[in-house]
Amino acid sequence: MPTKTDSTSQTRNTVYVAVFAAMIAAMGLLPPITLGIIPVPITLQTLGVMLAGALLGPWRGALASLVVVVLSLAGLPLLSGGRGGLGVLFGPTGGYLVGWIFGSLVIGALFKYWVLRNENKGVRFVSGLISVLLGGVVVIYLFGVPWTAATTGLGLGTSLLGSLGFLPGDVFKAVVTTLVALTVHRSYRGLMG
Amino acid sequence: MIASKNSSYLARIKPGWKFGALLVLSISLYLIDSWQLLLLSFILSIVLLLSAKVGFKQLRMPLMSLAMILSVVFVLLGLQTDWGNAIVSVLRLLTMCLFAYSVSLTTSFDAMLELFQQVASPLRFIGANPAQIALGLSMTIRFIPELKKVYLEVSEAQHARGLGNNPLAVSVPLVIRSLKIADETAEALDARGYDSAPYRR
Repeated sequence: MPTKTDSTSQTRNTVYVAVFAAMIAAMGLLPPITLGIIPVPITLQTLGVMLAGALLGPWRGALASLVVVVLSLAGLPLLSGGRGGLGVLFGPTGGYLVGWIFGSLVIGALFKYWVLRNENKGVRFVSGLISVLLGGVVVIYLFGVPWTAATTGLGLGTSLLGSLGFLPGDVFKAVVTTLVALTVHRSYRGLMG
Repeated sequence: MIASKNSSYLARIKPGWKFGALLVLSISLYLIDSWQLLLLSFILSIVLLLSAKVGFKQLRMPLMSLAMILSVVFVLLGLQTDWGNAIVSVLRLLTMCLFAYSVSLTTSFDAMLELFQQVASPLRFIGANPAQIALGLSMTIRFIPELKKVYLEVSEAQHARGLGNNPLAVSVPLVIRSLKIADETAEALDARGYDSAPYRR
Protein backbone atom coordinates (compact mmCIF):
# COMPACT_ATOMS: atom_id res chain seq x y z
CA MET A 1 0.00 0.00 0.00
CA PRO A 2 1.56 3.33 -0.99
CA THR A 3 2.04 5.83 1.79
CA LYS A 4 0.20 9.13 2.00
CA THR A 5 3.13 11.18 0.68
CA ASP A 6 3.48 9.00 -2.39
CA SER A 7 2.61 11.11 -5.45
CA THR A 8 0.71 8.23 -7.05
CA SER A 9 -1.76 7.99 -4.23
CA GLN A 10 -1.96 11.80 -4.11
CA THR A 11 -3.22 11.91 -7.67
CA ARG A 12 -5.60 9.04 -6.98
CA ASN A 13 -6.97 10.81 -3.91
CA THR A 14 -7.61 13.98 -5.90
CA VAL A 15 -9.39 12.08 -8.66
CA TYR A 16 -11.54 10.18 -6.14
CA VAL A 17 -12.54 13.44 -4.49
CA ALA A 18 -13.38 14.98 -7.88
CA VAL A 19 -15.46 12.00 -9.03
CA PHE A 20 -17.49 11.88 -5.82
CA ALA A 21 -17.98 15.65 -5.82
CA ALA A 22 -19.25 15.30 -9.38
CA MET A 23 -21.56 12.50 -8.23
CA ILE A 24 -23.05 14.72 -5.51
CA ALA A 25 -23.53 17.47 -8.09
CA ALA A 26 -25.00 15.13 -10.72
CA MET A 27 -27.49 13.82 -8.15
CA GLY A 28 -28.69 17.40 -7.67
CA LEU A 29 -29.44 17.62 -11.39
CA LEU A 30 -31.79 14.65 -11.29
CA PRO A 31 -35.46 15.31 -10.61
CA PRO A 32 -36.50 14.60 -7.00
CA ILE A 33 -38.18 11.26 -6.30
CA THR A 34 -41.64 11.22 -4.75
CA LEU A 35 -42.51 8.16 -2.73
CA GLY A 36 -46.21 7.66 -2.15
CA ILE A 37 -46.08 7.61 1.64
CA ILE A 38 -43.79 10.63 2.15
CA PRO A 39 -45.18 14.11 1.42
CA VAL A 40 -41.81 15.82 0.82
CA PRO A 41 -39.98 14.95 -2.42
CA ILE A 42 -36.60 13.32 -1.86
CA THR A 43 -33.60 14.92 -3.52
CA LEU A 44 -30.73 12.56 -4.11
CA GLN A 45 -28.03 15.06 -3.24
CA THR A 46 -27.54 14.04 0.39
CA LEU A 47 -27.34 10.42 -0.78
CA GLY A 48 -24.17 11.50 -2.57
CA VAL A 49 -22.89 13.25 0.54
CA MET A 50 -23.48 10.11 2.63
CA LEU A 51 -21.90 7.85 0.01
CA ALA A 52 -18.80 10.04 -0.26
CA GLY A 53 -18.15 9.66 3.47
CA ALA A 54 -18.98 5.97 3.67
CA LEU A 55 -16.86 5.03 0.66
CA LEU A 56 -13.91 7.43 0.70
CA GLY A 57 -13.33 7.86 4.44
CA PRO A 58 -13.27 11.02 6.51
CA TRP A 59 -10.86 13.36 4.70
CA ARG A 60 -11.57 12.58 1.09
CA GLY A 61 -15.31 12.38 1.83
CA ALA A 62 -15.35 15.77 3.54
CA LEU A 63 -13.28 17.24 0.68
CA ALA A 64 -15.76 15.93 -1.90
CA SER A 65 -18.59 17.72 -0.07
CA LEU A 66 -16.43 20.82 0.34
CA VAL A 67 -15.73 20.92 -3.40
CA VAL A 68 -19.47 20.91 -4.17
CA VAL A 69 -20.09 23.65 -1.61
CA VAL A 70 -17.25 25.80 -2.98
CA LEU A 71 -18.31 25.37 -6.61
CA SER A 72 -21.94 26.15 -5.89
CA LEU A 73 -21.10 29.20 -3.78
CA ALA A 74 -18.86 30.37 -6.61
CA GLY A 75 -21.96 30.38 -8.79
CA LEU A 76 -22.49 27.00 -10.47
CA PRO A 77 -26.16 25.90 -10.20
CA LEU A 78 -25.26 22.52 -8.70
CA LEU A 79 -27.67 22.36 -5.77
CA SER A 80 -31.01 20.64 -6.22
CA GLY A 81 -33.49 22.89 -8.02
CA GLY A 82 -30.67 24.60 -9.86
CA ARG A 83 -29.69 26.78 -6.93
CA GLY A 84 -26.23 28.23 -6.47
CA GLY A 85 -24.44 31.46 -5.69
CA LEU A 86 -23.77 33.29 -2.46
CA GLY A 87 -27.49 33.74 -1.73
CA VAL A 88 -27.66 30.08 -0.67
CA LEU A 89 -25.20 30.57 2.16
CA PHE A 90 -26.97 33.67 3.46
CA GLY A 91 -30.43 32.11 3.16
CA PRO A 92 -32.21 29.98 5.76
CA THR A 93 -30.95 26.66 4.40
CA GLY A 94 -27.23 27.56 4.32
CA GLY A 95 -26.49 25.52 7.45
CA TYR A 96 -27.39 22.22 5.80
CA LEU A 97 -24.80 22.95 3.13
CA VAL A 98 -22.08 23.55 5.72
CA GLY A 99 -23.33 20.48 7.59
CA TRP A 100 -22.63 18.27 4.56
CA ILE A 101 -18.89 18.73 4.99
CA PHE A 102 -18.95 17.63 8.63
CA GLY A 103 -21.56 14.97 7.90
CA SER A 104 -19.32 13.16 5.42
CA LEU A 105 -16.38 13.62 7.79
CA VAL A 106 -18.22 11.89 10.64
CA ILE A 107 -19.61 9.10 8.43
CA GLY A 108 -16.16 8.50 6.96
CA ALA A 109 -14.46 8.34 10.35
CA LEU A 110 -17.04 5.96 11.78
CA PHE A 111 -16.86 3.70 8.72
CA LYS A 112 -13.09 3.63 8.70
CA TYR A 113 -12.49 3.02 12.38
CA TRP A 114 -15.61 1.14 13.44
CA VAL A 115 -17.95 -0.26 10.79
CA LEU A 116 -15.42 -1.88 8.48
CA ARG A 117 -13.60 -3.51 11.41
CA ASN A 118 -16.66 -5.54 12.34
CA GLU A 119 -16.57 -9.05 10.93
CA ASN A 120 -20.16 -10.13 11.51
CA LYS A 121 -22.50 -9.20 8.65
CA GLY A 122 -25.41 -8.15 10.84
CA VAL A 123 -23.22 -6.09 13.17
CA ARG A 124 -21.68 -4.44 10.13
CA PHE A 125 -25.06 -3.40 8.79
CA VAL A 126 -26.36 -2.09 12.10
CA SER A 127 -23.17 -0.17 12.88
CA GLY A 128 -23.13 1.21 9.33
CA LEU A 129 -26.71 2.39 9.58
CA ILE A 130 -26.01 4.03 12.95
CA SER A 131 -22.96 5.79 11.48
CA VAL A 132 -24.79 7.12 8.43
CA LEU A 133 -27.73 8.30 10.52
CA LEU A 134 -25.37 9.99 12.98
CA GLY A 135 -23.34 11.79 10.31
CA GLY A 136 -25.87 12.20 7.55
CA VAL A 137 -28.86 13.17 9.65
CA VAL A 138 -27.85 14.22 13.18
CA VAL A 139 -24.72 16.18 12.24
CA ILE A 140 -26.28 17.84 9.18
CA TYR A 141 -29.37 18.86 11.15
CA LEU A 142 -27.09 20.07 13.95
CA PHE A 143 -25.80 22.70 11.54
CA GLY A 144 -28.96 23.24 9.54
CA VAL A 145 -31.56 23.69 12.28
CA PRO A 146 -29.78 26.39 14.35
CA TRP A 147 -28.85 28.17 11.10
CA THR A 148 -32.50 28.32 10.08
CA ALA A 149 -33.44 29.47 13.58
CA ALA A 150 -30.77 32.19 13.55
CA THR A 151 -31.48 33.54 10.08
CA THR A 152 -35.27 33.55 10.33
CA GLY A 153 -35.82 34.21 14.02
CA LEU A 154 -37.97 31.09 14.29
CA GLY A 155 -37.45 29.17 17.51
CA LEU A 156 -35.19 26.11 17.54
CA GLY A 157 -38.20 23.88 18.16
CA THR A 158 -40.13 25.18 15.15
CA SER A 159 -37.07 24.92 12.89
CA LEU A 160 -36.54 21.35 14.00
CA LEU A 161 -40.21 20.58 13.41
CA GLY A 162 -39.93 22.02 9.90
CA SER A 163 -36.96 19.84 9.08
CA LEU A 164 -38.68 16.69 10.35
CA GLY A 165 -40.58 16.55 7.06
CA PHE A 166 -37.31 15.53 5.44
CA LEU A 167 -36.55 12.88 8.04
CA PRO A 168 -38.31 9.91 6.36
CA GLY A 169 -36.45 10.62 3.11
CA ASP A 170 -33.15 10.97 4.95
CA VAL A 171 -33.64 7.69 6.80
CA PHE A 172 -34.44 6.00 3.49
CA LYS A 173 -31.25 7.42 1.99
CA ALA A 174 -29.26 6.28 5.02
CA VAL A 175 -30.47 2.68 4.54
CA VAL A 176 -29.59 2.79 0.83
CA THR A 177 -26.16 4.29 1.60
CA THR A 178 -25.35 1.60 4.16
CA LEU A 179 -26.34 -1.25 1.83
CA VAL A 180 -24.49 0.26 -1.14
CA ALA A 181 -21.38 1.11 0.86
CA LEU A 182 -21.10 -2.35 2.42
CA THR A 183 -21.63 -4.05 -0.96
CA VAL A 184 -19.05 -1.88 -2.70
CA HIS A 185 -16.50 -2.26 0.11
CA ARG A 186 -16.81 -6.03 -0.27
CA SER A 187 -15.80 -5.94 -3.92
CA TYR A 188 -13.52 -2.91 -3.82
CA ARG A 189 -11.24 -3.73 -0.92
CA GLY A 190 -8.71 -1.21 0.34
CA LEU A 191 -10.78 1.74 -0.78
CA MET A 192 -9.96 3.55 2.43
CA GLY A 193 -6.29 2.56 2.47
CA MET B 1 -26.01 31.64 -10.82
CA ILE B 2 -23.18 33.09 -12.85
CA ALA B 3 -22.51 36.53 -14.24
CA SER B 4 -23.11 36.15 -17.94
CA LYS B 5 -21.29 38.99 -19.63
CA ASN B 6 -22.34 41.54 -17.07
CA SER B 7 -20.66 44.84 -17.90
CA SER B 8 -22.09 47.08 -15.20
CA TYR B 9 -19.98 49.15 -12.80
CA LEU B 10 -20.39 46.40 -10.20
CA ALA B 11 -18.66 43.89 -12.45
CA ARG B 12 -15.56 46.07 -12.47
CA ILE B 13 -15.15 46.13 -8.69
CA LYS B 14 -12.71 43.53 -7.35
CA PRO B 15 -14.51 40.38 -6.08
CA GLY B 16 -12.68 40.60 -2.76
CA TRP B 17 -14.21 44.01 -2.02
CA LYS B 18 -17.68 42.88 -3.05
CA PHE B 19 -17.48 39.78 -0.90
CA GLY B 20 -16.15 41.76 2.07
CA ALA B 21 -18.92 44.34 1.70
CA LEU B 22 -21.52 41.56 1.55
CA LEU B 23 -20.17 40.03 4.74
CA VAL B 24 -20.20 43.35 6.61
CA LEU B 25 -23.67 44.17 5.26
CA SER B 26 -25.20 40.88 6.34
CA ILE B 27 -23.76 41.11 9.83
CA SER B 28 -25.05 44.65 10.22
CA LEU B 29 -28.46 43.63 8.91
CA TYR B 30 -28.73 41.20 11.83
CA LEU B 31 -28.04 44.03 14.25
CA ILE B 32 -30.86 46.20 12.83
CA ASP B 33 -34.25 45.64 14.41
CA SER B 34 -36.29 48.61 13.18
CA TRP B 35 -38.45 47.86 10.19
CA GLN B 36 -38.01 51.37 8.77
CA LEU B 37 -34.24 50.89 8.41
CA LEU B 38 -34.74 47.38 7.01
CA LEU B 39 -37.26 48.65 4.47
CA LEU B 40 -34.75 51.30 3.44
CA SER B 41 -32.00 48.69 2.96
CA PHE B 42 -34.46 46.45 1.10
CA ILE B 43 -35.16 49.29 -1.36
CA LEU B 44 -31.42 49.91 -1.60
CA SER B 45 -30.81 46.25 -2.46
CA ILE B 46 -33.42 46.41 -5.24
CA VAL B 47 -31.88 49.60 -6.60
CA LEU B 48 -28.46 47.97 -6.52
CA LEU B 49 -29.73 44.88 -8.33
CA LEU B 50 -31.49 46.99 -10.98
CA SER B 51 -28.50 49.27 -11.46
CA ALA B 52 -26.31 46.21 -12.07
CA LYS B 53 -28.39 45.39 -15.14
CA VAL B 54 -28.93 41.81 -14.03
CA GLY B 55 -30.87 39.56 -16.39
CA PHE B 56 -34.17 38.60 -14.79
CA LYS B 57 -34.23 35.27 -16.54
CA GLN B 58 -31.42 34.16 -14.24
CA LEU B 59 -33.17 35.49 -11.16
CA ARG B 60 -36.56 33.87 -11.72
CA MET B 61 -35.78 30.37 -10.41
CA PRO B 62 -33.83 31.38 -7.26
CA LEU B 63 -36.39 34.07 -6.45
CA MET B 64 -39.21 31.57 -6.71
CA SER B 65 -37.61 29.04 -4.38
CA LEU B 66 -36.66 31.82 -1.98
CA ALA B 67 -40.24 33.14 -2.00
CA MET B 68 -41.51 29.67 -1.15
CA ILE B 69 -39.23 29.29 1.87
CA LEU B 70 -39.86 32.84 3.03
CA SER B 71 -43.64 32.55 2.88
CA VAL B 72 -43.50 29.47 5.11
CA VAL B 73 -41.19 31.30 7.51
CA PHE B 74 -43.49 34.34 7.44
CA VAL B 75 -46.62 32.40 8.34
CA LEU B 76 -44.88 30.34 11.04
CA LEU B 77 -43.26 33.38 12.63
CA GLY B 78 -46.47 35.39 12.46
CA LEU B 79 -48.44 32.66 14.19
CA GLN B 80 -45.75 32.00 16.75
CA THR B 81 -44.72 35.51 17.73
CA ASP B 82 -46.33 38.56 16.12
CA TRP B 83 -46.71 39.76 12.56
CA GLY B 84 -44.42 42.76 13.00
CA ASN B 85 -41.60 40.41 13.94
CA ALA B 86 -42.40 38.22 10.94
CA ILE B 87 -42.18 41.20 8.56
CA VAL B 88 -38.82 42.25 10.02
CA SER B 89 -37.30 38.77 9.69
CA VAL B 90 -38.53 38.14 6.17
CA LEU B 91 -37.50 41.61 5.03
CA ARG B 92 -34.03 41.03 6.44
CA LEU B 93 -33.58 37.68 4.71
CA LEU B 94 -34.90 39.00 1.43
CA THR B 95 -32.55 42.00 1.56
CA MET B 96 -29.58 39.83 2.34
CA CYS B 97 -30.31 37.43 -0.50
CA LEU B 98 -30.83 40.27 -2.97
CA PHE B 99 -27.45 41.77 -2.00
CA ALA B 100 -25.88 38.32 -2.37
CA TYR B 101 -27.49 37.91 -5.81
CA SER B 102 -26.08 41.23 -6.99
CA VAL B 103 -22.59 40.08 -5.98
CA SER B 104 -22.99 36.63 -7.56
CA LEU B 105 -24.48 37.92 -10.79
CA THR B 106 -21.81 40.53 -11.37
CA THR B 107 -18.84 38.31 -10.60
CA SER B 108 -17.65 35.74 -13.10
CA PHE B 109 -17.18 32.15 -11.98
CA ASP B 110 -13.42 32.39 -12.62
CA ALA B 111 -13.07 35.53 -10.52
CA MET B 112 -15.03 33.92 -7.69
CA LEU B 113 -12.88 30.77 -7.74
CA GLU B 114 -9.76 32.91 -7.78
CA LEU B 115 -11.02 34.74 -4.71
CA PHE B 116 -11.67 31.45 -2.89
CA GLN B 117 -8.19 30.30 -3.84
CA GLN B 118 -6.70 33.46 -2.37
CA VAL B 119 -8.71 32.99 0.80
CA ALA B 120 -7.51 29.37 1.02
CA SER B 121 -3.88 30.12 0.19
CA PRO B 122 -2.75 30.13 3.86
CA LEU B 123 -3.65 26.41 3.83
CA ARG B 124 -0.45 25.90 1.86
CA PHE B 125 1.45 26.05 5.10
CA ILE B 126 -0.32 23.00 6.49
CA GLY B 127 0.46 20.95 3.41
CA ALA B 128 -2.33 21.70 0.94
CA ASN B 129 -1.19 21.89 -2.65
CA PRO B 130 -2.75 24.67 -4.79
CA ALA B 131 -2.08 22.81 -8.04
CA GLN B 132 -3.81 19.76 -6.61
CA ILE B 133 -6.83 21.85 -5.55
CA ALA B 134 -7.11 23.45 -9.00
CA LEU B 135 -6.89 20.02 -10.65
CA GLY B 136 -9.60 18.66 -8.36
CA LEU B 137 -12.00 21.53 -8.98
CA SER B 138 -11.65 21.48 -12.75
CA MET B 139 -11.92 17.69 -12.89
CA THR B 140 -15.13 17.84 -10.85
CA ILE B 141 -16.73 20.15 -13.40
CA ARG B 142 -15.63 17.85 -16.20
CA PHE B 143 -16.97 14.73 -14.45
CA ILE B 144 -20.49 16.06 -13.77
CA PRO B 145 -21.94 15.44 -17.28
CA GLU B 146 -19.99 12.16 -17.41
CA LEU B 147 -21.57 10.87 -14.21
CA LYS B 148 -25.02 12.04 -15.21
CA LYS B 149 -24.60 10.01 -18.38
CA VAL B 150 -23.48 6.96 -16.39
CA TYR B 151 -26.52 7.31 -14.12
CA LEU B 152 -28.91 7.49 -17.08
CA GLU B 153 -27.28 4.45 -18.72
CA VAL B 154 -27.42 2.39 -15.54
CA SER B 155 -31.01 3.28 -14.74
CA GLU B 156 -32.06 2.54 -18.32
CA ALA B 157 -30.38 -0.85 -18.19
CA GLN B 158 -32.03 -1.68 -14.85
CA HIS B 159 -35.41 -0.52 -16.16
CA ALA B 160 -35.03 -3.04 -18.98
CA ARG B 161 -34.51 -5.71 -16.33
CA GLY B 162 -37.54 -4.50 -14.39
CA LEU B 163 -35.34 -3.13 -11.60
CA GLY B 164 -35.70 0.56 -12.40
CA ASN B 165 -37.32 1.39 -9.08
CA ASN B 166 -34.85 -0.55 -6.99
CA PRO B 167 -32.44 2.04 -5.54
CA LEU B 168 -29.76 -0.58 -4.83
CA ALA B 169 -29.82 -1.97 -8.36
CA VAL B 170 -29.09 1.53 -9.66
CA SER B 171 -26.71 2.88 -7.00
CA VAL B 172 -24.30 -0.03 -6.72
CA PRO B 173 -23.38 -0.11 -10.44
CA LEU B 174 -23.29 3.70 -10.46
CA VAL B 175 -20.76 3.78 -7.62
CA ILE B 176 -18.66 0.92 -9.03
CA ARG B 177 -18.51 2.54 -12.46
CA SER B 178 -17.62 5.90 -10.91
CA LEU B 179 -14.77 4.28 -9.00
CA LYS B 180 -13.58 2.64 -12.23
CA ILE B 181 -13.64 6.01 -14.01
CA ALA B 182 -11.63 7.47 -11.12
CA ASP B 183 -9.05 4.66 -11.24
CA GLU B 184 -8.66 4.96 -15.00
CA THR B 185 -8.24 8.73 -14.80
CA ALA B 186 -5.67 8.45 -12.02
CA GLU B 187 -3.74 5.87 -14.04
CA ALA B 188 -3.89 8.06 -17.14
CA LEU B 189 -2.58 11.04 -15.16
CA ASP B 190 0.26 8.95 -13.74
CA ALA B 191 1.10 7.50 -17.15
CA ARG B 192 1.47 11.02 -18.49
CA GLY B 193 3.76 11.90 -15.62
CA TYR B 194 1.49 14.42 -13.97
CA ASP B 195 3.49 15.58 -10.97
CA SER B 196 1.32 15.93 -7.92
CA ALA B 197 4.03 15.73 -5.30
CA PRO B 198 3.32 17.90 -2.25
CA TYR B 199 4.34 21.51 -2.55
CA ARG B 200 7.88 22.02 -1.23
CA ARG B 201 9.36 25.29 -0.13
